Amino acid sequence: MNTEIREYLPLLIPLVIVQFSLLGYSLFHIFRHKSYKHGNRAIWLVVVLVGMNFIGPILYFIFGREEE
Amino acid sequence: MNVLEVREVSKSFGSKKVLGGVSFSVPENCVFGFIGRNGAGKTTTMRAVLGLLETDGGEIDVCGQRVSYGNTPTNGCIGYLPDVPEFYGYMNAREYLALCGRITGMDSGDVRKRSSELLELVGLDKENHRIKGYSRGMKQRLGIAQALINRPKLLILDEPTSALDPVGRKEILDIISAAKEQTSVIFSTHILSDVERICSRVAFLEGGRTAFEGGIDEIRAMKGDTALELSLARSSDTDRVKAAFPAAELIDGKLVFPKASDRDCSELMAFLAAQNIPITRLERHESDLEDIFMEVIGK
Amino acid sequence: MKGFIAFFEKEVRELVRTKRLLILLAVFVIVGIMDPAVAKLTPKLFELMADDLSEQGIVLGEVKVTALDSWTQFVKNMPMALIVLLIMFGGIYTSEYTKGTLIPLLTKGLSRSSVVLSKLAAMLLTWSAGLWLCYGITYFYSDWYWDNSAVNRLGFACFCWWLFGVLMICCIVFFSSFSGSGAQVLLGCGAVYFAMTMAGMYSKAKEYLPTRLCDSVPLYKGELVPSDYTAAAVITAAISAVLVLAALPLTHRRQV
Repeated sequence: MNTEIREYLPLLIPLVIVQFSLLGYSLFHIFRHKSYKHGNRAIWLVVVLVGMNFIGPILYFIFGREEE
Repeated sequence: MNVLEVREVSKSFGSKKVLGGVSFSVPENCVFGFIGRNGAGKTTTMRAVLGLLETDGGEIDVCGQRVSYGNTPTNGCIGYLPDVPEFYGYMNAREYLALCGRITGMDSGDVRKRSSELLELVGLDKENHRIKGYSRGMKQRLGIAQALINRPKLLILDEPTSALDPVGRKEILDIISAAKEQTSVIFSTHILSDVERICSRVAFLEGGRTAFEGGIDEIRAMKGDTALELSLARSSDTDRVKAAFPAAELIDGKLVFPKASDRDCSELMAFLAAQNIPITRLERHESDLEDIFMEVIGK
Repeated sequence: MKGFIAFFEKEVRELVRTKRLLILLAVFVIVGIMDPAVAKLTPKLFELMADDLSEQGIVLGEVKVTALDSWTQFVKNMPMALIVLLIMFGGIYTSEYTKGTLIPLLTKGLSRSSVVLSKLAAMLLTWSAGLWLCYGITYFYSDWYWDNSAVNRLGFACFCWWLFGVLMICCIVFFSSFSGSGAQVLLGCGAVYFAMTMAGMYSKAKEYLPTRLCDSVPLYKGELVPSDYTAAAVITAAISAVLVLAALPLTHRRQV
């Protein structure tokens, strides 16, 4: 089992890094802004945290983030 | 030579006629006030001058060149400040001016020098934040700076002072006064005191037509008239005063004596004293731009 | 030309500062890693399900994963990445028209063609960078775990995808020249894709449709060769060019 996991690590490590930085950045963005294009803070927090790893943050950046 | 000539320009949006023959001309080195009520067609006229709007008839010449709709070469000698200027929030003022300068074909050294000059002129030289945090007044000032970047022969300002507080308005007017050394300025407004402060020539726009065009001295010559306004303490005295002075008219509860000379004034005061009529207020009223404006538009 | 370069730089700065570029590249990186990851995990999933399935009387044989499975995932996942890119760029023109940010620049003599073309260039740059980044990552992992030499024409297949993406981006350019909002633009793009898919039901037309370019698996397996895609590639390139050329005069007439 141990060797099997090790086999997956080259895939998992970068995937986790990219997904968590995306998640981290979207949470940071949500907390730093008061108004959103659609929806409110609570909705976006749920979407970003629950929405399957990277899909939630992407949805937020497309539909939630206000244009500058 | 006139920097701007507008001849019989008309424009309809659907069945609504917005401009029905607007004509005026702006000579060189002049601050031109373009006056009209909201919805009189000021912005439409300006957009037509900039080739942002297709006109139905008439001609517009800028610096001797005909304006065409779409990409018009005349825009090279115009600087324009829209009524609500919108910029890219993620840039700072200096970067925005650099973008504007490069579009007009200035080289980078010139752009840098000119940007510093203009930012100082409009008082944004110490501002390093991005534009998204700017107040309305700051955007307006940046708008003037971007309009002046390529040393235009004609500066078009659409309601530059309307949305500002008195301090902001004065600042903008001072900037315009400073800019007129280098360029002709045409600015639209419905605030007449601004016009009296800095304009040398004006046009009144009403119902999509130029109702009056002339120098500010012509307007001063039209003034001359002073009127007396009298408010009586008891309205029952009104008829007695009117009987003695048939020229008086009752307007909004006040007795107005049009074209009253100094002599008329003394006579009136003597009459009031002799008859023992109490008053609350007697005022000499010099007709100003507003009265002339009202007269021109027939109100 | 000066206007084009200045405005193109502005576009790139906008992509960077609004973090749009970063987010899109992250999507392409994730998809690039997901392709081999899903392929790698497939036998594990089957193992987990095997008991349930055998109860229902289905017996699975040993699943042998190869690089082809990883590249099949690439074909399956790429549409999602492309859709995210199109949604992100859907309002790139219309938001500027409606907000009025272009007015100060247009009145300084920036030509409308420069606006259209420099935004197109910025979108193509993002798409190219993202697609080839994704390709590179999938390529690396597929070779690491299996052997890419078992799969044919990887580079050409990716080029076909690139060309298809170019067509969709040119659809944004075209629909933006008269639409009022990003949503309308995306609706137009969706309609084009739908029309192509419908036309693809008719087997004789299939070979000539841009959607053919997305059909990479036969190419990987060696059932088709690049010349079988020539007609579709030429037609796609031609339609893209026509869309952009039509957008220029339309944008010129457009009320901003």
